[in-house]
Amino acid sequence: MPLTLLKAGETVTIRKIGGSDEVRQHLSELGFVAGEQVSVVSESSGNLIIHVKDCRIALDKSMASRIQV
Amino acid sequence: MEIKIALAGNPNSGKTTLFNNLTGSRQYVGNWPGVTVEKKEGKLKGHDDVIIQDLPGIYSLSPYTLEEVVSRTYLVNEKPDAIINIVDGTNIERNLYLTTQLLELNIPMVIALNMMDLVRKNGDKVDTAKLSSELGCEVIELSALKNEGADDVANKAIQLAQNKTIGNRPSILSGEVENAVKQIEGELSGIADDKFLSWSAIKVFERDSKELEKLHLASDKKKNIEDIIEACEKSMDDDSESIITNQRYTYITGVTDTAVKKGRAKGELSISDKIDKIVTNRILGLPIFALVMFLIYAIAMGGWSVSIGTAATDFTNDVIFGEWVPGFFDTILGALHVEEGTVLYGLIQDGIVAGVGAVIGFVPQMLVLFLLLAILEDIGYMARVAFVMDRIFRQFGLSGKSFVPCLVATGCGVPGVMASRTIENDRDRKLTVMTTTFMPCGAKLPIIGLIAGAIFGGSPWIAASAYFIGIGSIILSGIILKKFKAFAGEPAPFVMELPPYHVPSVVGVLRATWERGWSFIKRAGSVIVISSIIIWFLSAFGTVNGHFGLVDNLFEDETIVTDEYVQKLADRMDVEIDDVNAMDASLLASVGNVISPVFKPLGFGNWKPTVATITGLVAKEEVVGTFGVLYNYDDSDEELGEEGEQIWDRVAADYTTMGAFSFMVFNLLCAPCFAAIGAIKREMNNAKWTWAAIGYMTGWAYVLAFIFYNVGGLLTGEHGFGLGPILGIVLLAGLIYLLVRKGYQPDESAKSLTSVDANA
Repeated sequence: MPLTLLKAGETVTIRKIGGSDEVRQHLSELGFVAGEQVSVVSESSGNLIIHVKDCRIALDKSMASRIQV
Repeated sequence: MEIKIALAGNPNSGKTTLFNNLTGSRQYVGNWPGVTVEKKEGKLKGHDDVIIQDLPGIYSLSPYTLEEVVSRTYLVNEKPDAIINIVDGTNIERNLYLTTQLLELNIPMVIALNMMDLVRKNGDKVDTAKLSSELGCEVIELSALKNEGADDVANKAIQLAQNKTIGNRPSILSGEVENAVKQIEGELSGIADDKFLSWSAIKVFERDSKELEKLHLASDKKKNIEDIIEACEKSMDDDSESIITNQRYTYITGVTDTAVKKGRAKGELSISDKIDKIVTNRILGLPIFALVMFLIYAIAMGGWSVSIGTAATDFTNDVIFGEWVPGFFDTILGALHVEEGTVLYGLIQDGIVAGVGAVIGFVPQMLVLFLLLAILEDIGYMARVAFVMDRIFRQFGLSGKSFVPCLVATGCGVPGVMASRTIENDRDRKLTVMTTTFMPCGAKLPIIGLIAGAIFGGSPWIAASAYFIGIGSIILSGIILKKFKAFAGEPAPFVMELPPYHVPSVVGVLRATWERGWSFIKRAGSVIVISSIIIWFLSAFGTVNGHFGLVDNLFEDETIVTDEYVQKLADRMDVEIDDVNAMDASLLASVGNVISPVFKPLGFGNWKPTVATITGLVAKEEVVGTFGVLYNYDDSDEELGEEGEQIWDRVAADYTTMGAFSFMVFNLLCAPCFAAIGAIKREMNNAKWTWAAIGYMTGWAYVLAFIFYNVGGLLTGEHGFGLGPILGIVLLAGLIYLLVRKGYQPDESAKSLTSVDANA
């Protein structure tokens, strides 16, 4: 399921990242790669703050929906 | 010999702090050629022959953002003598990603492991010796915020640069991928620069467009290489770019597993996470933000005892530029026997001192506001504000990152426009630069005060409506402009790193405050001095009954100012005969008279408001000062109030309700002051876009003021139905059409993250 469906506090493992090459590459440079464990710090109407590789990344809904967990 | 050292690292890794520690105040700030990415360069403290080049904060060397392209071009083409790679010790894994790419460049490099104080506090352990041997590169511990270790880092970098020591590059790639890249290296040998052979090979493997462009490969070479890549992709079942990314992370995990011991279990929430849970909360986020903003404005701009900003500005206006500076110049001019009433005296006192003083008066208030905003930024709250506001701004086609510039612009448009730099997407940034000065800045408040006081009995709703019109203009402009091809497309997806919260550093905050304040003062010293002199010249000189000269002096000569002439002047300038004064004969009045028909349809087609609008270009608070002069306020008994309280009656007599409101709307929205126009020009970095921005703002102001005056006047019964109201309704309909029409539909590729293509 896409990351957007998660609630604050949940921890999951990334399975796959979709979207154009460019978007995927950018996400991977920020630490979003398959197999990585991430947790949701905060959620508001689809926009998320994700804890990944020891930092917090804010993602809007359109970006978060490309990350499958 | 001169040594060039490049400073590279992730955003928020403490790069700027280290740069400041290393160079002190000996910095040169400019732009990278052709783009609006800030370029900072400085000489190392105590070493005049060592130049530190601060590269923009980047996550990788792939060519997706302007910052990445700029950094990469610099590293590959300029070949610095050494690189200082600053790595955030609390976030080693992600930061080492860039490190693995930098290592491929074969340039002497030292890693500065920053935030070691925090690492220790978190209970983490980093074995720097192990890290160093794994990466084949010196690692030095650093705490930039506490200014510990900066000298060691610099000395090491100089030493490496002098000996040209390049460490043993670790093998990051493995197995098939390594083989494939080796094969490509073979294909490229003799074509690519020897030093960058392995870098080139990896980039070619990733099908990096910039590198391929640079290499100009023959078609058979291209085919050979493509075969190698495809074979590898097939057996790994992934695309080449992802393969490399995964290999990098696999390598990094291997390194950190041996060299880093985390004090906290994976997934456990840090203090920053806990704070974020509250301040970015779906329900609490906005109210908390509103409260923070209220406190800031209470301190910087309010009228209470806590409002130190207001107190400081009042002091500057009333005492420093009200008494001290004019007094000081009076003494000097007196000693030089320059009498009041001469041209030189007028030029210095009325032109330069009064003009610059009017602008400098706002500096203390602005500094307080900038200080508070810098604290919020340093703590890390500003990044959260962008996140909280993104949800709302996205509805109107703007990104949450556009909100921070608008916020700063409520203090002053100049730093507001400059704050748009954090927006990566070129279209979004241009759109923000074009609209952000719609916000009523500190200098526009007196205009609002004058109109509210003179016409609307001091109703607080007028000020509220001014902010509403400002925000509304930004939102409506966002919707309308987004439908044009130049701006079309969704706002760039919101992806932003939220730095950990930390206690603000005094030096850092003061430096940020000063940089913003100083850029404003510098403009006050250049653009504003010149334009003050021009406005002064136009208002002081004129032709009185055929004699050209200082109008004040000519008016005292009764042989020149005959009753007949006064009558004629009163008729020409449309004023009561008792109100005729020297100003009416000035060049400025004549200029105003020529231009004023332009504003007739807006309800203020009289030369006085026209002239006030022109002087508003110098600085918006000049509008009220000009009204003071033009409405004959006699300053012999007391200083004109900031909102021009003494002339309210006379102003009220000259305007209809909607005419005055339309005047306010036009002045709030039209081309900003020269200082802000200068900032827009710098951020647009392009004359065409600068003029487009000024034209758009003025056009928008004209249309809106036209609608308010004509349609508003019809609704309030101020004037009957006629050509004006009809045109107003037509314009309103046109505006609504622009808002709801189906705009230009960009193809998928336009919805990209980056601004590179738009600029390349």
